Amino acid sequence: MFSHIYKYRLKCILRDRQIIFWTMAFPLILATLFHMTIANITSSETFSEVKIAFSEEGGSQEYRLLKETLEQMSAGEGRNGGKKLLDVTYTSRGEADSLLKDGKIKGYICYDGEIKLVVKDRGLEQTVLKGILDDFRQSISSVTAILEENPAAANGSLFDDIAKRADYLIESAAGKAAPNTSVHYFYTLIAMMCFYGGFHGLKEVMSVQANQSSAGARVNMAPTRKMKVFLVSILAAVTVQLIETALLLLYLAFVLRVDFGNRIAYVLITCVAGSFTGVSFGACIAATMKTGEGPKIAVVISVSMIMSFFSGMMYHGIKTIVRSKAPVLSYLNPLNLIADSFYSLYYYQTYTRYFTNLALLCGFFALFSMFTYLAVRRRKYASL
Amino acid sequence: MQVYKACYKIIYKNKGQLLMYIGIFLLFAIFLSGIGSSQVSGFSETKCKIAVFNEDDGSAPADGLTEYLGGKAVIVEMEDDEEKLRDALFYRDIEYMLRIPAGFSDGLIAGKDVRIEKTTVPDSTSAVYLDMLVNKYINTYMLYAKNTGLEGDEIVRRIGEDLENETVVEMGDYGRKITTAENSAFYFNYLSYSMLSILILGLGAVILVFNKTDLKRRNLCSPVRLRSMNMQLISGCLSFAVLAWILLIVTSFILYSDFMLTVNGALMLLNSFVFTMAALSLSFLLANVMKSQNAVAAAANVFSLGTCFISGVFVPQELLVDDVLKIASFTPTYWYVRNNSLIAGLVNRSYENLLPIFMNMLIVLGFAAATLIIALVVIKQRRVSA
Repeated sequence: MFSHIYKYRLKCILRDRQIIFWTMAFPLILATLFHMTIANITSSETFSEVKIAFSEEGGSQEYRLLKETLEQMSAGEGRNGGKKLLDVTYTSRGEADSLLKDGKIKGYICYDGEIKLVVKDRGLEQTVLKGILDDFRQSISSVTAILEENPAAANGSLFDDIAKRADYLIESAAGKAAPNTSVHYFYTLIAMMCFYGGFHGLKEVMSVQANQSSAGARVNMAPTRKMKVFLVSILAAVTVQLIETALLLLYLAFVLRVDFGNRIAYVLITCVAGSFTGVSFGACIAATMKTGEGPKIAVVISVSMIMSFFSGMMYHGIKTIVRSKAPVLSYLNPLNLIADSFYSLYYYQTYTRYFTNLALLCGFFALFSMFTYLAVRRRKYASL
Repeated sequence: MQVYKACYKIIYKNKGQLLMYIGIFLLFAIFLSGIGSSQVSGFSETKCKIAVFNEDDGSAPADGLTEYLGGKAVIVEMEDDEEKLRDALFYRDIEYMLRIPAGFSDGLIAGKDVRIEKTTVPDSTSAVYLDMLVNKYINTYMLYAKNTGLEGDEIVRRIGEDLENETVVEMGDYGRKITTAENSAFYFNYLSYSMLSILILGLGAVILVFNKTDLKRRNLCSPVRLRSMNMQLISGCLSFAVLAWILLIVTSFILYSDFMLTVNGALMLLNSFVFTMAALSLSFLLANVMKSQNAVAAAANVFSLGTCFISGVFVPQELLVDDVLKIASFTPTYWYVRNNSLIAGLVNRSYENLLPIFMNMLIVLGFAAATLIIALVVIKQRRVSA
């Protein structure tokens, strides 16, 4: 009996093109879109040499010294741990101006009675430029001050000291992986997909509830125990959801190359727990709401959208805002729990945060299941 | 007028879905308007958000450095909690973290290899910049300490004097952006998402009903002339689009009142209206191709999300890969979004600045005409085959 119901429920689900679209194709499309757009966000933070121009018109002794310094810097003998900071074009002022206008360079240096930087926008790269120039001027000022204080220093190691800058910093990594914000979006996407699994749960409940579909009415007449039919149906739904989640996971990991860290077993456990919770969420909505199919679907979509929003699927800042302003809310959002589980596996060495998330998630699963059970059991109808 | 009225009856029946998209849009819009911060004109340094934990409190170089960084970056007050700090770095609430160890300055003077612990977003521009600032400060401190007889606070005071030598930065006047304009550009970018969804869903609902074979046959028997029926249908769709447009732009007058009443604001409105027309004919085409309400819902999502994502509605166009943008340029949304940023940055309304804006609008209108023609061909084909 079990295999009979299971098989036919699987067929019913797989032939429902609309449900397969929303639970499978839609997340895959979104993942692709995310990949196309978000992958670049982190690389936009990555430092690359700032392109500038240097006007060779006019100038003082100081200006010529600056040119030498820049030449040294762009030759790769930079003062910043050997990293090349600038890509300098030496040209006339007019040419530099038109390069800037066309966006070919971030700014240019010219001499206008004093050293001057001309830029087009505000931004970090422009700030770096200013920092380099400030550094140059301030070093000169320091040297002058030192020589005033101690003229003998000129014969000592002063000039060597300026040329050789020591590195006083040591890197200490934040987490076990790079703080790459873009993975966050894919994690929330999997979480959203788990909750779209709610469509499966919704469909299964409606097909066994006598007052919600004619198939349900017929099932109630059959001599099989209703709870058995129901549980097997849900099992079929979870099966499909698990396969779909696995496909998305494979797509993300192997096609889009999203980094999930190296604890694969735990990633899979999260997917399983998420899928169960998602399906039970839909089942709970379908069982407790006394309306037609339309409003139920609307609730599943809008609730999962709202939860996605608060877990930061549209903008990652939302997640930290929620965590700092109303931390309870981040624990009460099962979608966020799924996403945060992936995050903590990726970023954290320890498991405390992961297991907290997982435990709460299982709590939600139990809660949804209990409500569904209470609503579905012992329904009797005077007439069908 | 029966057909026209029927259109609105069908739309009214689907009001839930449509209102949802308006609701989502308004939420976004209000949320976005809260983000914008006012900017002063002229150059100002970009300040990274950093956290500094000075465990060598009371020593001159450590305090001096902290104070110096306070001027060059925004020091975020954070609890010294490992988990919170990690999260903050991952989600970019801070971009750089420094921990000056206890005994740092003593070690420094004694010539030991003491280091400040930094936690960064690896290889990022902010890390490079802040590394530069920190190393420069400490190196300068050491320069004074080694080559003069000065000590501690006196050196910090001297460095402070050196630091007053800042470079003059001139902002070239190549079109300075105004914040309200930029924010409203965001608003209008998002508008394209809701507009597409609403029009595809609304038109889909109406046209699917009129395309039902039995209903169509019955309508054709009616004494209303086909021509009049089609005209009513078209005006129904048109007025629905205009209504949707009005609904979506109304809020902009509340949120960005000062900007909307300028010429640039009017251009923004015109641009969004032109886009509405393109969205309308795209919806018309989709509605005629789709066979069921469910397919319409799927198409509405795929088209609105898809085009908006690749055209830079959710993520600025500058951040998109060129290949993606090339694909996006085959959608009207791309040109619409481009125009929004052009209008937002428009300072000098000269002929040569306005020309690209109107060209882009023409491109969007071209899309509108092209999709409309395809739709008409599809309808014609179907009539022949039916």
